[in-house]
Amino acid sequence: MGYGNYIDPFVALRAPQDDNGVIPSGAKESYTVGAGEKLELTFVVLPGESRDIDVAIDLVGEGAEVSLKGLYLCGGDERVNFRILMHHRAPGCVSRQLFNGIAGGMSRVTFEGRIIVAPDAQKTEAYQENHNIVLSDQAHAETMPQLEIYADDVKCSHGATVGRLDEEALFYMRTRGVPEKDAKVLQMLSFLSPVTPEDKRESVEKAVLQLV
Amino acid sequence: MDKLLEIHNLHARIGDKEILKGIDLTLNRGEIHAVMGPNGAGKSTLNAVLTGRPDYEVTEGTILYDGKDLLAMSPEERSWAGLFLSFQYPVEIPGVTITAFMKAAVQARRKAAGLPEMKTPEFLKLLKEKMAFVQMKPEFAKREVNVGFSGGEKKRNEIFQMAMLDPTLSILDETDSGLDVDALKIVADGVNALRSPEKSAIIITHYQKLLEYVHPDVVHVLKDGRIVHTGGHEVIEAIEKDGFDQF
Repeated sequence: MGYGNYIDPFVALRAPQDDNGVIPSGAKESYTVGAGEKLELTFVVLPGESRDIDVAIDLVGEGAEVSLKGLYLCGGDERVNFRILMHHRAPGCVSRQLFNGIAGGMSRVTFEGRIIVAPDAQKTEAYQENHNIVLSDQAHAETMPQLEIYADDVKCSHGATVGRLDEEALFYMRTRGVPEKDAKVLQMLSFLSPVTPEDKRESVEKAVLQLV
Repeated sequence: MDKLLEIHNLHARIGDKEILKGIDLTLNRGEIHAVMGPNGAGKSTLNAVLTGRPDYEVTEGTILYDGKDLLAMSPEERSWAGLFLSFQYPVEIPGVTITAFMKAAVQARRKAAGLPEMKTPEFLKLLKEKMAFVQMKPEFAKREVNVGFSGGEKKRNEIFQMAMLDPTLSILDETDSGLDVDALKIVADGVNALRSPEKSAIIITHYQKLLEYVHPDVVHVLKDGRIVHTGGHEVIEAIEKDGFDQF
């Protein structure tokens, strides 16, 4: 696999795509998840081009479960935008989202994550986490979580952070002989680890080496 | 005598504040030195300068390590040259296991020395051996570095790393008074076990307790940014008896 942006085939199968199997920028993907159904999606965006990822998910049947994971690595002057809408319309559904990304170079990343819990969707569990590391002063990451809850018996949480590599941890590793670059790579890979699919480890590693 | 570390007229500051005001200290190969001093004497700054912390500025003086200009070396180069600096507050590295961390450290050092990579079975054997040596439970190999560790476990992990890296000169910052007796013993056992004519150590400390377990050859008293007295074991007793004001 090259350094091009990559969308998990599981997503690609369900969304409009061009001849190369790539979802066109700006195309909206939507999914409807019914009673007892499970949907798992993983988004992997590697350095190479700008992307808009716009996903809307409706949980319409009781007990539906959705798990979204996302990993993005951006460099150069790339623009990567995520817009995720998780709409809980039925009771007893669970959604989990974890998106971790790194912005280097002069790239710009935005993450808009909206969770709507309808009045009837009691016993909803909805979780969303979005964490970003910016590698340079020119890189920019913005995260905009939004919770709209119209039911009263729900468990919802979101966490959003934008930060830099942990200088103290880098320094600690260096004092033990790990070169600065390797220490950065270790830290970036560990940050991405929870969202890295097993079969993408190698390409993520290559991309991290390219960005650092 | 074979000089391993020579600090000459070392001045250092953080921001506008001068903290080290001309330190002279010579350590020979095979010796263990203690640097003792009251709070605010400059102990942490001395350790920070030796470690290569970027926020401290050396304004005057030199440090020669094994004949080389230590201040010109990056933190990783210092490590490759055989220096080990234990942290008073070891840092947590979420997501990075002790095994992955030590593998990166050991291989980088071998690379710097022009040696081939250590094979995985050999590395794991070394890891296991050194963990047993510091009485660290084997399951720690898979734990994230220092994450959720107790104070004693962090200390043990420092001494474990010291054993793994087999340094020529260990500098232990034990300035913290919060060390319990168990943690002190871990540190002391680690230092004592590595004692040899080739290995040296500097223990920077406020309290004499640790020095009951590790017997330093030379004791320095650091006060107001200078070494004001150097002697043998009798200095520890004098401090125990009458504190630092006598110097």
